[in-house]
Amino acid sequence: MPMSIDRGFKKKFRRAAMWGAMALIVLLFFLSVYGAFLGPQRAKELFNSVPLTVYWVAFAVLLTVGIALFRRLLRVPALLLVHTGCIFILAGAIWGSEAGHKLRKKHFGIDKIPTGQMQIYEGYSDNRVILEDNRIRELPFYIRLKDFRIEYYKPGRLYIEAERGERWMFPVEIGTEFSLGLDFGTVKIIRVFENFQIAIDGESRTVTDEPGPGSNPALEVRIESPDGQAATRYAFERSLGHIGRDDELLLSYERVISDYVSELQVIRDGEVVAEKDIEVNHPLHFGGYHFYQHSYDARAGQYTVLMVASDTGLASVYAGYLMLCVGVFWHLWLRKLSKRLNRFTITGSNSE
Amino acid sequence: MEIKYTIQGLLIYITIAAYLLALLASLVRRPGTGHALYVLGFVMAVVSFGYRWYHVRHVPMQNLFEVFLCLGVICYPVSRLCRRILRVRAYGADMLIGAVVLVPAGFIFNADPQKLPPALQSWLFIPHVAVYMVSYVFMAKAAFFGVWQLAGKTRGPDDNLLPPEEATYRMVCVGFPLLTLGLVLGSVWGKLAWGDYWGWDPKELWSLASWLVYVGYLHFRYMFGKRHPRINSIWAIAGIVVIVVTLLWVNLSRLFAGLHSYGT
Ligand code: HEM
Repeated sequence: MPMSIDRGFKKKFRRAAMWGAMALIVLLFFLSVYGAFLGPQRAKELFNSVPLTVYWVAFAVLLTVGIALFRRLLRVPALLLVHTGCIFILAGAIWGSEAGHKLRKKHFGIDKIPTGQMQIYEGYSDNRVILEDNRIRELPFYIRLKDFRIEYYKPGRLYIEAERGERWMFPVEIGTEFSLGLDFGTVKIIRVFENFQIAIDGESRTVTDEPGPGSNPALEVRIESPDGQAATRYAFERSLGHIGRDDELLLSYERVISDYVSELQVIRDGEVVAEKDIEVNHPLHFGGYHFYQHSYDARAGQYTVLMVASDTGLASVYAGYLMLCVGVFWHLWLRKLSKRLNRFTITGSNSE
Repeated sequence: MEIKYTIQGLLIYITIAAYLLALLASLVRRPGTGHALYVLGFVMAVVSFGYRWYHVRHVPMQNLFEVFLCLGVICYPVSRLCRRILRVRAYGADMLIGAVVLVPAGFIFNADPQKLPPALQSWLFIPHVAVYMVSYVFMAKAAFFGVWQLAGKTRGPDDNLLPPEEATYRMVCVGFPLLTLGLVLGSVWGKLAWGDYWGWDPKELWSLASWLVYVGYLHFRYMFGKRHPRINSIWAIAGIVVIVVTLLWVNLSRLFAGLHSYGT
């Protein structure tokens, strides 16, 4: 084939690739906006559907074709990084998707759980993962929950509200006396309970902070009215508690959660092979899976809920992120801008 | 709409007033006074941000109120940087941007201090938000030059400064890498906090959409250069419109219940 025809052909091909890229980019824009109206669950289904899988593969193919067609994309390292970065991200995402997991199982016999949840009680170990469709699969190792705890910002707060609408907020400091103004006197926090329990026997009442299971956070406070009468009251985190007929003040106890912590051990063949206290933002990575602090037993704090996610494809996605970021900064900041700036300072036309 | 009768509120209102007066002074051709007021506005914005920091005892970038407070601070350094290094000048626009971004902080968003919920306690939190904010300021400037170009201005204010179409391109070249980094940091953080680097929630999808507008712009401008300046400008304006939707509408509308709803 004569050179010129070949060149003309290539040029046409290049233009088609560029228009193709524009079309795919604009299409994805509209799909994203549409997906935003669907909410996360339905958007996820849409972007994982068969037509969209075709779209993702087409995007990756077009990027590859683009790199092959445009010399500059290959020659300019920054541009190469940007575009191969995108390919890495797409490839990693496809590889790590549920469809990717199914394909590998079918063709290579690699059977990995893409994602699911585990519910583990304190002191117990488990390897069962509940999938999104409620099926249960098993991990090749066990996770044991040594302890689950919720951490709070200190101090907690005592809220007091009067019938007529006045409100006060005090930090939980044992023994400090706070003023409630001329009408109500003073309030003092006497004791803090993790698990408040009350036993009533005839006239006598015993309050205890029960160790062990259960959780009923409370405060014991002493309110002294301006005429010198003192009364003991309890403020609860979970309920308003008992309100007497003459109680003019409504009490409540509030703490703000700072963290959820699950102390985990990984057990394989009866031996502890890894250990980590996981928190929000600090997952455990073991055996090709990440384990995240996901939820917990809100009633009694007895069990934790972990989210399990396969790490397949993640390395490729992260490598792609790095390449993309390095590439865009390199190309648009260092190459483009510094070239202009150099020219600019050499000509000496900078007035400042 | 709510007026804040607090020191914080007062500081914000003074800043807005200073930025607006600076704009006014520039419009009536008193550049000296304008600049002095602009600097004053910047100093007040810094004081206001510092006051908030002291008040809540963590870097104030947790909710929309704090984010907008911070935007009010970075406008000034960004406009100095553009003028000195990038040959792009639009002090008037910068003053306006400074005032406009503080309006939501002053009148709309709730300023009650909040403790950081567990998901926000991450080393990625501040870079993610900060990088996005700086990029938004650049993209706002890009859109401003787009409007200028559409309004028929084809030349720069003087030979040293770029004409609007090129200024738009330059602002996007500066803002785009930051936008990309913001998106990537958000994704990595999502992975750490929620277990997935992409959750398809509305905020993520809008931020992807805004990023794609600029990807489209860069390729369009590569394909046609300056041959279709009006279309180039429209891309940049579309970009800022989508960014504003990303930043505000999703949080405010409450139409979608998504993971990012902490911002309301
Ligand atoms: C879908 C297929 C794509 C093709 C065929 C393609 C092709 C190209 C080409 C030919 C260039 C011009 C290079 C030059 O300056 O000579 C370019 C530039 C660029 N591309 Fe792509 N691209 C694609 C997708 C993407 C994506 C998804 C991104 C995401 C970041 C991207 C980011 C960039 C950037 C930042 C530039 C530099 C623009 C500039 O210098 O103004 N490209 N691309």
